[in-house]
Amino acid sequence: MKKEAWFGLAMMALVVILVFIVMPPPSQITTGHLGLLMLAMIVLAIMLGFPTAFTLMGMGTMFTWFAYRSVNPETAVKQTLDLMVQRGYAVMNNDVLVAVPLFVFMGYLVQRANLIEKLFTSLHLVTSRIPGSLAVATIVTCAIFATATGIIGAVVTLMGLLAFPAMLKAGYGIKLSAGAITAGGTLGILIPPSVLLILYGATAGVSVVQLYAGAFFPGIMLAALYIGYVIVLAKLKPDVAPPLSEEEKRVDLPAFAEILSRVRSKNVMAGLIGAIKGKRNAEIPMRTLLKQLGIALLPVIMVSLLMGSIYLSLTAPEGEVPEGVVPMGIGHELPAEETRAEEFGGLQEPEEARKEEPHAPGAIAETKEEPSEAKGITPGGRKPAPGGYWIALGISVLGLAFFYIFFNFVRLELFKMLLASFFPLAILILGVLGTIILGLATPGEAAAMGSFGGLVLAAAYGQINFKMVKESVFLTAKTSAMVCWLFVGSSMFAAAFALLGGQEIINGWVKSLDLTPIQFMILAQVIIFLLGWPLEWTEIIVIFMPIFIPLLAHFQIDPLFFGLLVALNLQTAFLSPPVAMAAFYLKGVAPPHVTLNQIFMGMMPFMAIQVFAIFLLYVFPQIGLWLPSLIYK
Amino acid sequence: MQKILLTIDKISTFAGQASSWLIVSLTLLITYEVFSRYVLRVTHPDAFDAMLMMYGTLFMMAGAYTLAKNAHVRGDVLYRFFPPRVQAGLDLTLYFLFFLPGVVAFCWAGYEYAGESWAIRELSSITSEGLPIYPFKTIIPIAGVFILMQGIVEIIRCVQCLKQGKWPSREVDVEEVDVDELKEMVHVTDKDIEKLDEVITHKKESNK
Repeated sequence: MKKEAWFGLAMMALVVILVFIVMPPPSQITTGHLGLLMLAMIVLAIMLGFPTAFTLMGMGTMFTWFAYRSVNPETAVKQTLDLMVQRGYAVMNNDVLVAVPLFVFMGYLVQRANLIEKLFTSLHLVTSRIPGSLAVATIVTCAIFATATGIIGAVVTLMGLLAFPAMLKAGYGIKLSAGAITAGGTLGILIPPSVLLILYGATAGVSVVQLYAGAFFPGIMLAALYIGYVIVLAKLKPDVAPPLSEEEKRVDLPAFAEILSRVRSKNVMAGLIGAIKGKRNAEIPMRTLLKQLGIALLPVIMVSLLMGSIYLSLTAPEGEVPEGVVPMGIGHELPAEETRAEEFGGLQEPEEARKEEPHAPGAIAETKEEPSEAKGITPGGRKPAPGGYWIALGISVLGLAFFYIFFNFVRLELFKMLLASFFPLAILILGVLGTIILGLATPGEAAAMGSFGGLVLAAAYGQINFKMVKESVFLTAKTSAMVCWLFVGSSMFAAAFALLGGQEIINGWVKSLDLTPIQFMILAQVIIFLLGWPLEWTEIIVIFMPIFIPLLAHFQIDPLFFGLLVALNLQTAFLSPPVAMAAFYLKGVAPPHVTLNQIFMGMMPFMAIQVFAIFLLYVFPQIGLWLPSLIYK
Repeated sequence: MQKILLTIDKISTFAGQASSWLIVSLTLLITYEVFSRYVLRVTHPDAFDAMLMMYGTLFMMAGAYTLAKNAHVRGDVLYRFFPPRVQAGLDLTLYFLFFLPGVVAFCWAGYEYAGESWAIRELSSITSEGLPIYPFKTIIPIAGVFILMQGIVEIIRCVQCLKQGKWPSREVDVEEVDVDELKEMVHVTDKDIEKLDEVITHKKESNK
């Protein structure tokens, strides 16, 4: 038998031994102990490999009946049946879980729009001057694509086909390449909109909106830590991530740009405007020039639209601007602003990126403050804009000025490539997120619009056809059925567990341990980390979260904060050998000489970074809680 | 025998696939509702109920389809290392131990639950004069029966596997990670991967 199987058997043996240690002698067994026994049995049964949803359902039914029978044998059957069907119907009627099939559908559509190749090529050229550029581009591509699709298996496989060969040919180490792909691919379950957070919200009764707002920055932080690690490693050990040759960095300029940068100026604005006004432009048709100028002006148009609409909404006289229309406008403009910030980073002007970033959320704050400031202003007249607005405006103008000073023709080409790959996805993600976080739409509604956006995206890239839609529809049905039936099963199971009083025993036991909140937190995270080995994240969320959540109030821990930690923690479940799914997907498309062990070794540093990220979030909870507290005060 | 099994597979698959198209109407309905709310300034109170009904029907009816394609999540720490006969034996036991009691009870409970709802011609309470919800509740027993039927097919499959030592074949279906399709999507062939292998082995030799 393989050693992985021995590992599984060892885990099972461990559970059995634990049961024997914890269980009192048969004479003292109460129904509560039966609840604990049930918990141990479910772990064993899941490990035996029977479909989890039905294991939960069957066990829940039997133990519910058992619990009712110990009270009143005559009505036990009737009560059990009632409870089961009510639990089932509650899942069918759950307005949080509606978002699951819709987000899943959006993911399959976006994946089939086939943007990943373009995305990777353009990002790789944009980052070409950064040390370890290919690995950085891989992580960014993975993060964006995994966020938009949420299908980790497909992202890791695709990147294994695209980025893995590119990195190996460029002389990158196998371990680093494998680590970047697997770690990047799993970011999709953390960065919202993710299905994991919906499930946690539905289980723990935490608002999904707040979870999304809260997980945004931790997700970005984790991606940034990965990128930082790769850059530092590439600087320290250039032999595992050698810089690209000039040949690979080269961006071919189209004929007109070649001529203009030779004859006029390397700067896009100077070159184009000079050529339009000047006489010596006979070689280049006017149409080309105007078209390029239009593209080059997009950033400034976006910023003016955004700042203009914010100005209008800030200074709007009370009651005149109908609510809804203007916020909707902001919801759509906001993504443009945030992507612009990223685009600066992409073009190697990180100073601007940093300056730009804080002001986008700031803008949200300003719009949200509107009602309070609106008081006392006479209806009809325009209010003065707050000072923060003018500062933000100043920063954007400065940022734009810098952008255009360094905007040469090579960068124009890169900008165009990003426009065709990076921006559509970024706008889709941020549009969906923005509408949810600003409260313009429920997660379900935003997910539906995201799916619609996915259809539009696929159509825009000429990938839409009946077969593609049909496949996405069927896959959506299977994935949603898998998740939602699991939820049906687990809610029956949870009912039985509560009826038997297992929860009280656990509560009493944990309270008797007299832990400080920090100790409890560490204990909980370690348990979840360990569960991540044999179980899938869906199972951990739906079966074990209901046990942890009631304990949070005792330790005065915010369930929102706990959820963010759990989401970060479950990332490690995808990377911890020997059951790391991400590794097996990569192995499936890797050349035969890349061994599974090399992939595992490559994932280790990234796992360490994940643990470090959990630690960071724990020490600085504001990373996660700042945005929700800003918006939902 | 194999014919009957595959026929039931087909029925489950058909029912599941037919209702899976609800995701498209769900997308369009909600998108239109949001558009209507913000642009036309008209809201439809029944849209919320309709949304829940589409979602509920979608996943409930897809349950049997998912089972037919063996796509329900299962813990595979151990399972995938077992030989087929052990897998089948375990599955068979657990089908009797967990699946049948749970699903039969669920069907029965759903049947009574829907019956009560039909008797009073229950309307949704979210809006006054809401949509009728007794057809929606009827989905519970219907989906339950489909799953039960499919479960019996799976039980027979386990027995066949125990006899023959290998799993009987299923009809193919679209998969989440279809490596061949993904390869085609990004224009990578097996030859490219072989070539890449040479790059690695070459590098190792030069390092030595």
